[in-house]
Amino acid sequence: MTEGADTTTLLETNALAVRRHGEALLDRVTLHVRRGSVHVIVGPNGAGKTTLLSAILNQIPFDGEIAMNWVGSGAVGYVPQSFAVDPTLPVTVADFLALTRQRRPVCLGLTRRARAEVARLLALVGLAGLEERPLAVLSGGELRRVLLAHALDPEPELLLLDEPTAGFDESAARIFESILVSAKRSANTTVLMVSHDLELVRRVADRVTVLNRRIVVEGAPDILSAADVRELIPVRETVLSPAEAGHYARNSGG
Amino acid sequence: MTAFYAWIGGLAQRGLLPSDFQYPFLVRGFLCVLIIAPVLGGVSHLVVTRRMAFFSAALGQAAITGVALGLLLGEPLNAPYAGMFGFCLLSTLAMVYVKRHATLPPDTLIGVFHALTLGLGLCLLVALTRQFNVHQVESVLFGSLLTVTDADLLLLLAVGIFVAVMLVREYNALLLDSLSPPLARVSGAEPAYLEYFFALLLTLSIVVSLKIIGALLVEALVVVPAAAARNVARGTRSYLIWSVAIAFVAGAGGLGVSTRFLVPTGGAVVLAVSAMFFLTLMARSTSRRRGTV
Repeated sequence: MTEGADTTTLLETNALAVRRHGEALLDRVTLHVRRGSVHVIVGPNGAGKTTLLSAILNQIPFDGEIAMNWVGSGAVGYVPQSFAVDPTLPVTVADFLALTRQRRPVCLGLTRRARAEVARLLALVGLAGLEERPLAVLSGGELRRVLLAHALDPEPELLLLDEPTAGFDESAARIFESILVSAKRSANTTVLMVSHDLELVRRVADRVTVLNRRIVVEGAPDILSAADVRELIPVRETVLSPAEAGHYARNSGG
Repeated sequence: MTAFYAWIGGLAQRGLLPSDFQYPFLVRGFLCVLIIAPVLGGVSHLVVTRRMAFFSAALGQAAITGVALGLLLGEPLNAPYAGMFGFCLLSTLAMVYVKRHATLPPDTLIGVFHALTLGLGLCLLVALTRQFNVHQVESVLFGSLLTVTDADLLLLLAVGIFVAVMLVREYNALLLDSLSPPLARVSGAEPAYLEYFFALLLTLSIVVSLKIIGALLVEALVVVPAAAARNVARGTRSYLIWSVAIAFVAGAGGLGVSTRFLVPTGGAVVLAVSAMFFLTLMARSTSRRRGTV
């Protein structure tokens, strides 16, 4: 990953390619994500959307280039697609959120400052009062909102969201949209999101990239209305890992 | 230390402490339990969270081989530390390296190391029993209070403090990495460093506890306290407290049983901690039926 010079673009990929066992998961993907925008990646299953985010996060080997043009803190927030929780693990929501908000080990208790921060973040995502709830008993939508709260502080310069609205009910979806709108208005945060929720994408995205291992088409959200794009992308399909599907099945609800 | 044991013995004679505390070896054993409980109980809850139970078992086997190597190289029977620490630390580095670079599942790879170190250890032990009394070698496998010296106690204290200080430094990163390596990486932690770091701390904790608990059984004290604590804990803080408390009660109880009934210390401690696991499991089942969990 290299530092680039163009200040209107926060993130650029140049001929990004990922191969595994001889198969191309991503093939020469060149992407420009404008600073302060909400850029959404859509595509069918197996299109390489999560692989793209993993490469950007430097979690997997890749060919090609990825350049970041930081002007602020360089902080990255990330909501992963998959977050399976051991059902017997006694880690609470407050413990989890405090892990990156205090030096003191959370097993020795939360500091007053961390506790206040946790309360503020939970209120932001509409989960006030859930500090002492174990992660393992959260519903799928609640878990996603906790992950979002974790990603929003410190204020990220780049926010990467992989299927952030999976399992959301109506009120959670509204809260999420308002957070995205606030991010857009502040212009301090650039959002790169993977989503299958095309209604949401039409409402919030500044730019859409249709990906199917390589870029199919890119442009304003209205490209989603094109016949060939509609044929490519299934409507309202949510992909879960088997472990996460098990968590959702155990704790179904919003 | 002689003055200290004499003072404790005096308190025991006056009835202020149990009468068994007149014997220095028992006082040493109890002090070892006081140190081992927070060390092993403390790492235990991270071992279970990071799914390293089988790794711990392989380390125990590696310790047998380490002892055998140390003895064959001329170290004294009651302190083969170079062999133990050296071989175990090398085995740890090798296991973590292979796990991070191979494509086979981690439990398969650890199974390979487990088999390798056990086979090597058994062969070396057969060679050893020609040179030493087999009961002396048994103490390595099952633990023995009688072989613990003041030097062992001080080493245990020093390593215990070191492990505690290091864990405090990296605890939050370790826990986040256990939950989600990608989130840990985004927050600035390096998963590879954390994996090596914790594996090496675990190795130190296990090796230094071997004399009391024994190589074959020390893994139980690294896994079962946390497994039992999971049945009753409600948050990370109580998870740690329960793990340490269960390790302490099992250690002290096992020590008492061992001296009363003349059974190996390690075996008695492991039976005690296993009993506590089933007690906490029953407590959890009862709470569930009442709807309080």
